[in-house]
Amino acid sequence: MSRHVAPHRWADAFAGKLDDSERALMDRHAESCAACQRTRTRIAGASDSYGSIRTQPGPELPWDSVRARVHWAVSKEKRAQSQPAGPPGRRVPNLVWGVLAATAAGALALVTPPSPPSRPAAPVAHVTSPVAPPAPVVAAPPPAAIAGLVIRVAGSGARDVMIDGVRPDDLFARHLGAGTVIATGEGRVDVQFGDASAFALGPRSTLELRRFDSSMIELVIDGTIDLEVAHRAAGQRLVVVAGEHTVEVRGTQFRVSREQAGTTVSCRHGLVAVRDGSAAQVEVGTARRIQLAPGAAVSSDQIVPLSVDELASLASATPIRVPLWNIDALVVGSAPLEITTVGPRDVRVDGVELGLAPLSVRVMPGRHTVESADSAGRYRRVGWVDVAVPSAGSKPARLEVPAEVPRTAGVAERRRQLREGIDQARLARCTRSIAKAGLTGTYVQVELAVDASGAVGFLNVIDTDLPSATASCVREVLADVRFRQGAPATWREKLDL
Amino acid sequence: MLTPVKRDTGPSAALGPADEADLIARCRADDRGAHDEFYHRFRRPIAANLYRVLGDRTDLDDLVQEVFVIAFRGLERFRGDARLSTWIYRICVNVALGRIRTRKRRPNAIGVNDLDSAHADPSLVERPEMPDRALERHQDQARVYRALETLAPKKRLVLYLHEIEGLDLKQIAYLIDSNPVTVRTRLFYARREFYRAIAEEPES
Repeated sequence: MSRHVAPHRWADAFAGKLDDSERALMDRHAESCAACQRTRTRIAGASDSYGSIRTQPGPELPWDSVRARVHWAVSKEKRAQSQPAGPPGRRVPNLVWGVLAATAAGALALVTPPSPPSRPAAPVAHVTSPVAPPAPVVAAPPPAAIAGLVIRVAGSGARDVMIDGVRPDDLFARHLGAGTVIATGEGRVDVQFGDASAFALGPRSTLELRRFDSSMIELVIDGTIDLEVAHRAAGQRLVVVAGEHTVEVRGTQFRVSREQAGTTVSCRHGLVAVRDGSAAQVEVGTARRIQLAPGAAVSSDQIVPLSVDELASLASATPIRVPLWNIDALVVGSAPLEITTVGPRDVRVDGVELGLAPLSVRVMPGRHTVESADSAGRYRRVGWVDVAVPSAGSKPARLEVPAEVPRTAGVAERRRQLREGIDQARLARCTRSIAKAGLTGTYVQVELAVDASGAVGFLNVIDTDLPSATASCVREVLADVRFRQGAPATWREKLDL
Repeated sequence: MLTPVKRDTGPSAALGPADEADLIARCRADDRGAHDEFYHRFRRPIAANLYRVLGDRTDLDDLVQEVFVIAFRGLERFRGDARLSTWIYRICVNVALGRIRTRKRRPNAIGVNDLDSAHADPSLVERPEMPDRALERHQDQARVYRALETLAPKKRLVLYLHEIEGLDLKQIAYLIDSNPVTVRTRLFYARREFYRAIAEEPES
């Protein structure tokens, strides 16, 4: 061996990757070469040190402090997610209140006659009344009525939502108040009734808004309802009645499902109290579920933890809400957008995933981008749609998502043309330098679109293990392939080099 | 006789798949106790992994915090296609990669290895080394980390995971979210650069 041994070959030797004859040859060379001898020593030392590095324990850290910081960061994020910012201008800054108070004090000073010069105060005998006078009785104001608004209607048969027994044309403009009965067919309807409160009524379900005011919300369900409720203030109650069982909450996300076989209450987060006809009560906490047969008394033994799948199902069924809740402004300032598809397809509007279409969703007036997921789950832009301010008699904006074109059309022929058209000699020149360096078995994966005239629409290298210069050389070779007239095709091709 | 030093896998090693699923479910449901359990199970392995990848303890507590925050944030999306410990190791690797990149941009901030300055866990070593052997080992480790510093961040990570941690191409590909062939190519060039840097380092 006349040439020096490459340093990495020594590492290969120490790792036992070389055969004995090659190792002997290298050692023989090192005996007569001081530089290679030094390299061998250093790399032997480095290789030996790997074991000690691998087993090096970590240092002790201020664990409590780290834990506190982690907790703070995580809970801060969760708070920010769960408390959407209120509309601008709703909160009066403290400074304004200060200015108002100062102004009022000034005005009072102007209208009050100046007091006479102060005299020494005469001694006053303080008489304490043995019985305090009764406080004046103030009649409590009646609770304010609440109204809900439809935000989304989704699933097959999206038009199959009945309000008080009829299919309304103005579903998105309706105020849903106490006494309303909502029924779904195969679809699902999301209704918002506050800044952070909404429910989603599942397929084949009926819901009666028996009481719907600021002190008491009483919902009677037959079927499935998912609720996400803002924390209730003191004196505010929210009760879901499912047959003989009632579910009461303070602020939480949960699902009540009443079927023939019984009632199931699943709590994603927060705490719900479940009562039976005899007023016995159990509390179902976060990630827990209780299943009750018809007429069964509640007991804490019936509470079981939710599985990961059940939790995921609850998460995906979270009712959709709009961030700024002002029902009157929303009725006149937003409009439904209808998205139709051939078969169920996941859709996004302005980047927000809305679940399976066909669906209708409440949006603000303006231009909205709609994307739909293909069979591989990748979202592709369908187009944009202009939504106008709603007016009497206006039809909802509508966008049809075309059926997904089968990707196999013409691909076999175009693939054959590509393989035949590659200049193999030129391709070999591209990979020559890396092959000389010992790197073989490489590949490049490209994505191509060819139209009916044979023109290449796009050619993207989507994955390769080649250095960038080699990859661009390979791409140029592929870009020079000429296609004949034929079926248009878009496909991915992996070429082993 | 020196016994082989045990791998610092921490209490996570005792977590079975069912316990793991239960812990994840409780963490997803914002159970504070589960968050604490998660933290206590993984804090030491995370610190040790970051420490070994980076070779120094500068801002290590910040990096551990970052790993946990990413983990808690990402638990909702954790599909369970790998063990929880592997998934967390993957986060460690990516946090370390970010750190290495930052150091490359701000070379003054490099705190080159202080691996041996840490307090070794006395339970892991039965008898201390001879001083001259310890010095030699320290020099070898320092040379390894100095050579690692000369590599581009991605190459450095691949080389560390393969040569030092002994992971195969598929495992590395999962950790760095790449494919095994790309890893192989990266490793091919990284090994040459790394061992050349060791060989060509001037005598101190």
